[in-house]
Amino acid sequence: MNTKWFNFLMTAAVLGLAAGSWGMVERLLYGLNPVAFGSYVPWGLWVACYLLFLGLSAGAFLVTIMTYLFQMKRFEKIGRLSAFTVLIALLCEVLFITIDLGRMARIYQFLLTPSFSSLMTWMFVLFNAMLILYFLKTFFLLREDLVQAAADRKRRGSGIYRILALGRVSYSTSDRLADEKRVHILSIISLPVGLLFYGTNGAFFAILMNRPIWNSALTPLLFIVAALLSGGALITFLIHSYMRDEELERILGKTILFLLVVFLLLEGFQFFVGYQSAVTAVVTSLDLVVLGPHWWTFWIVHLVVGSLIPLYLLTARRHNSTAISWACFLIVATFIAVRYNFVIPDLAVYKIEGLEQAFVHKRLDTSYVPNLNEWLVSIWIVSLGMIVFLAGTRWLPVVSSGKGGPDHG
Amino acid sequence: MSRNLPDQDHLIRMQEDLKRALMKDPSEIRWSMVIDVSKCIGCHACTLGCVAENRLPPGVVYRPVMEMEIGRYPHVRRRFLPRPCVQCQNPPCVKVCPVTATYRDRQGVVVVDYNRCIGCRYCLVACPYAARTSDFGEWYTRGTPDVVGKIYGRMAAAEGYEAHPATEYGRRWPVRRSGSPIGNARKCHFCLHRLAVGMLPACVTTCIGRATFFGDKMDPESLIFSLLGSPRIFRLKEELGTKPAVYYLS
Repeated sequence: MNTKWFNFLMTAAVLGLAAGSWGMVERLLYGLNPVAFGSYVPWGLWVACYLLFLGLSAGAFLVTIMTYLFQMKRFEKIGRLSAFTVLIALLCEVLFITIDLGRMARIYQFLLTPSFSSLMTWMFVLFNAMLILYFLKTFFLLREDLVQAAADRKRRGSGIYRILALGRVSYSTSDRLADEKRVHILSIISLPVGLLFYGTNGAFFAILMNRPIWNSALTPLLFIVAALLSGGALITFLIHSYMRDEELERILGKTILFLLVVFLLLEGFQFFVGYQSAVTAVVTSLDLVVLGPHWWTFWIVHLVVGSLIPLYLLTARRHNSTAISWACFLIVATFIAVRYNFVIPDLAVYKIEGLEQAFVHKRLDTSYVPNLNEWLVSIWIVSLGMIVFLAGTRWLPVVSSGKGGPDHG
Repeated sequence: MSRNLPDQDHLIRMQEDLKRALMKDPSEIRWSMVIDVSKCIGCHACTLGCVAENRLPPGVVYRPVMEMEIGRYPHVRRRFLPRPCVQCQNPPCVKVCPVTATYRDRQGVVVVDYNRCIGCRYCLVACPYAARTSDFGEWYTRGTPDVVGKIYGRMAAAEGYEAHPATEYGRRWPVRRSGSPIGNARKCHFCLHRLAVGMLPACVTTCIGRATFFGDKMDPESLIFSLLGSPRIFRLKEELGTKPAVYYLS
């Protein structure tokens, strides 16, 4: 990424952080009072954003597994960047889901009184396991360069590198071998942990028997494919932005095309089965997606901009890395519509007849549109994630050609 | 006296049943409710009685009365269905709570530990009866005009009333500012705080049609026990296997 783009994106992120601060202050002072969701649509934009970042981390996760577990040389160049991307996406995820809690200061209750019958507890456990694994993995991958930067006294910010390298100023061949081994072991552990983590997030919704669209064996599968699609698209876009490897981009472009087709097929099955079942709650929820007040998020944002145009670019312009990059960018940028249309419609249908007129209040209503506060808080978190990511790719040895493989030293 | 008329007011009978139940070991009690929908006139007195008893803020409701219009003009009728928390014996909300903040107590009532609840609202999403609401910290008195020169201090008095939460779960809760139950999931608990002192739930005593019955279904002498034998009895969404402790008479 050249300096011009870096400065532009950094400025946008800082402005986003500044603008979003107003929403964050409101959220911290008044709890969930400023939000638009209520008791019948209890989850809103923040949960959709959580799912978006969950997916974004999945593609990068897969690349790290291919690089450091299966030792696929083709992906060596993007190994470090992928590990760092997983870490940042996980941090954004945890911010979104924490901010959504009615009493977020009590998050420690997960440790004091966990209930292992709840999939949310397992999500907490697996999320933290992923965070620790990827924090350690990124650290061991970067350590050699961090130590070198710390040892270079003339270099600006060498003191910071020394802190990041935990005070070390020398790095031997045996250290390198030990770190490579550590990264490999962490990758072995992270494969089952990651698969369980991404699967659990789908099962989290699928087990709810009173939510007819979610309550399907297809949901965890849809989640995994959606995660790989959006995350894979992100990593392809990042390769184009940071290191330009046309061959690698073409390989990933084909993978993204395959995932996009599979995802659209699964989505099509969901609609087909739902409409054919003719269960009122299911049909009403699906109608909300395709004909409801936010129909454009499905037809225009998701299908046209996020699927058809990328499909065209990935097939007709499959040899052009810029076109592939554009396709991936469009998939990532519009994927929030997919997550939104997954979370909201099943909640936005009264599951008991007559409830809508029983007690009238804005919190007891199924018409939900995210308000300014929710958008501001979302902008704040995304901006923070962008600042950390951009700073990391600029000043940390995350992007360095020829490094980052299993023999990253 | 006609044979169809009860020789004792149902409330008196249920009060006696309650007194008898409280003499038992609490773990032997199974509180249950029966609602006779043919007697419900849709007055919403139970809803308001509940709101007043539990000092529920705006947007939090434990016992709405659902209304349905049946038939087509001119052959139309309305049906009313009060819906408290149905106190499932196999509650989906309990299974999904990640911090064991919600559980079935010894008497079969599903309760919420306000000091443990993290406000994730997974239980709201999991409840098939939409019986749970989240407390978003709303106030009736905030943003409403106070007419100057009428009754001085009226707003302050109203605010004072709202600021002091009810003794739900038999506990004295701090003045309502930002602490629990704000941010928590809330639900009907069969007025456990009233039962503990020998009083029937507020919705039972405020029901002007005597359509709501309450008692210990393990007591064969109780009114509720005899009603449960009715061929008219049914439960909401029975096919889900949640085994509600709230029954309806069709």
